[in-house]
Amino acid sequence: MTGTRASVDGAAPYLRAEGLTKAYGATVALAHVTLDVAAGEVHALLGENGAGKSTLVKILSGIVTPDRGTLEVAGRPFTPGNLLGARAAGVSTAFQELSLLPNLSVATNLMLPHLLKGVGGIASARRNEQAASALLQEFGIDTVDPRSLIADLSLAEKQRVEIVRALGHRPKLLVLDEPTAALAEPGWLFEIVERLTAQGVGILYISHRLAEVRRLCRRGTVLRNGRSIATVDLTGTPDSEIFRMMVGTSQDEATHAVPKRRETTPRLSVRGLSGRGVHQVSFEVGEGEIVGVAALEGQGQRPLFRMLAGLEPISAGAVSIDGKTADLRSVATALKSGIGFLPEERKTEGIFLGLKTASNVSLPILERVRRGGLISRRMEAEAVAAVGLQVDLPKRYQGMRISALSGGNQQKALLARVLVSGARNLVLFDPTRGVDVGTKQVIYGAIRDFVARGGSALVYSTELAELVHLAHRCLVVYGGRIAGELAGPALTEDRLVSLATGHGDLAA
Amino acid sequence: MSQANPAPPPLIDTRTSGRALGSEVVTPLVLFGLTVLLVIASRWISPSLGGLHQVSAIIVLSAFLMVVAFGQQMVVLIGGLDLSIPSLVTLGGILTYAWTTQSGWSFIWILPAALVVTGCVGALSGAGVAWLRIPPFIMTLAMGIIVYSASLGITAGTPRGHASPALASLFTGRILDLPPIIYLMVIFVIFCTLLQSSTPFGRRLYALGTSPTAAHVAGLPVGRLTVATYAISAAAAGGAGFLLVGYAGGATLTMGQSYLLPSVAAVVVGGTSILGGRGNYVSAVAASLLLTTFSTIISSVQILEGWRTIIYGLVILVAIGALREDLPLWFSRLMQRPAPRQPAPLVASDSK
Repeated sequence: MTGTRASVDGAAPYLRAEGLTKAYGATVALAHVTLDVAAGEVHALLGENGAGKSTLVKILSGIVTPDRGTLEVAGRPFTPGNLLGARAAGVSTAFQELSLLPNLSVATNLMLPHLLKGVGGIASARRNEQAASALLQEFGIDTVDPRSLIADLSLAEKQRVEIVRALGHRPKLLVLDEPTAALAEPGWLFEIVERLTAQGVGILYISHRLAEVRRLCRRGTVLRNGRSIATVDLTGTPDSEIFRMMVGTSQDEATHAVPKRRETTPRLSVRGLSGRGVHQVSFEVGEGEIVGVAALEGQGQRPLFRMLAGLEPISAGAVSIDGKTADLRSVATALKSGIGFLPEERKTEGIFLGLKTASNVSLPILERVRRGGLISRRMEAEAVAAVGLQVDLPKRYQGMRISALSGGNQQKALLARVLVSGARNLVLFDPTRGVDVGTKQVIYGAIRDFVARGGSALVYSTELAELVHLAHRCLVVYGGRIAGELAGPALTEDRLVSLATGHGDLAA
Repeated sequence: MSQANPAPPPLIDTRTSGRALGSEVVTPLVLFGLTVLLVIASRWISPSLGGLHQVSAIIVLSAFLMVVAFGQQMVVLIGGLDLSIPSLVTLGGILTYAWTTQSGWSFIWILPAALVVTGCVGALSGAGVAWLRIPPFIMTLAMGIIVYSASLGITAGTPRGHASPALASLFTGRILDLPPIIYLMVIFVIFCTLLQSSTPFGRRLYALGTSPTAAHVAGLPVGRLTVATYAISAAAAGGAGFLLVGYAGGATLTMGQSYLLPSVAAVVVGGTSILGGRGNYVSAVAASLLLTTFSTIISSVQILEGWRTIIYGLVILVAIGALREDLPLWFSRLMQRPAPRQPAPLVASDSK
């Protein structure tokens, strides 16, 4: 298949990239990347983390200038000097690492850099709010108040605002970089995509979720190690073939059989837990068991997980571990009780960007790698290498700043930090958010190994397929309560969806 | 032919710079180098400068700055700023002066006592920052004013006490022809460097400074770390006051005043990120030496005081401008491959 090219019949491509090359010193981020997007087409960009997708997005957004190669938009050379230049040429991007300013209002974020001015040339809050409100309404997110601060929004709302902002520039070519990473209900976006394509807007769609890509896109270009491997007709190409192109080898494990349910003794036991957005939640996670949690956005899963991690106050109920009541008043006590928490937002809540990878991982065990009061680099390196094996984190990354690692490797390091702490009960909030297929497999493997050694794991994921694939059984949270539980052959995506949308009767 | 087709300027990828020569090596080297150059150049200004004697005098003079800069740096590492340093230098000095008895060796217990008192004041500032969420510079500014006013009230403007000959001998005595304080400072610098880089406490400080949110989620004792850091900064200032009493033979209410801006300058010129999480003590020590050398030389030149301060300010600006993040990058690029415009002499002679 390599080298074959499908193209939209007859239509002249709106965006044409030929032989794009970009190197950072010795590291070649993009090499001879060629792709085209027709007007009114949703074109998928597929590839693992580190394949060069982000660099391509940066080039299209005008943030990075390619070393070689040509870019054409609507038949004219496209050489934006910066973000504004790209927008002026009709190319607008919704970034994966959201680029909103958290301390400013939704309205200001949407209107910048050209705030509407009132009397005397001073930016008028009222006019900007009206304009922002109209924009939000137009794209169907009237639940967001244009006056609220970005920092006060949920991650999903931030992602929507980010997308609406890109739409507000009325692009002729829209770049969506992992637009559904934080959205549990992508239907909203799909409608917008349909509306835009009907208007002739070209969309470059980047997502790790193949099901989603298949639904939206007819054609896709696969990147691997900075090269465009092929542009394929997605309808005629099976998943295994796409995975093969992405990782270079066949990845049959991706369709791993659902593991068997095991009869186990309860390890983590939650009784009548209540708090902000969570009502009377009870469940158990057994030894050697992976319990999934499925929910639409904002159904209380986030506070539930944060309560277990000691980050949110608990108003009623109790959590016990191995029969002993767990102290969840702070993260430190929760950790001492045996709960290892993996947070949702890797960059802000998870890793320490300024520290080396090894220092990130060894943080919970600093006392254990000391000799004579001082940290022994050798003992630290050994401990990190040992846990690194569990998550397939190469040793050579240890001495590098974690900010230099790809998102997937950062996530592996974060999971390594949780594992190394010695916690016997993992509480993982969307552990594979925004990571590539290969890293996902590694993370699944690490979780399975962990429970096989007698631990327990509670895993929330926005991807239902992942839960079906990974969990022994799955809880569905709806409106702050457990709406149901599925296990064995009953654990299917369809049933999860009906429970998660409040149609428990259909799942029975 | 190679000149006809010049290679693009080498770019250093940020993804690989983690392995290149890091700023923790380059910054102190550059600063030490500049200090040495400055000392050598100073001979040209006045023949009395530039000798070994002057070098030893500069190190002694910079000791006080090194000590306060350590405290300031710890606070800056967690993203704060300590403006109470001058008052705590004064408090440490007043206490030392007041407690000293004629018996001579009393400073053995005075030092820990002064450190504990000033450390407790710092812990209060830290508690205000950590639990009352008062912005660091407001909290420490207020604490500084309170401590200064209390010192003023209790001493009625004139601190009383005794000079300690034993303490003074740290500066006047000679071990292998050098004053003992120099050896003490070497030990101090090693101790502080290890505290920062190789203890769980130090590691957690960097983590907290890099990302307070992630530190909270990771279960680090954020409150206690903050309190301890401000306590250390205050105790360092108190320790500097203690040393100053030995050097000057007395205490005054203004003895700490000249250390606020230099403490910040030493930390920032030493490449510590004012946003927290990045920096190391050796660089701050090198910056203290450079700044002290510079002010020593400039004060020996016959110009108006105003011009001196203006030049001092300019030097700090230039140093900070030159020592930004890209300096190590630039430096390691220089080490890795020759600049593209330089002709390669070997190839040129071969072709002939």
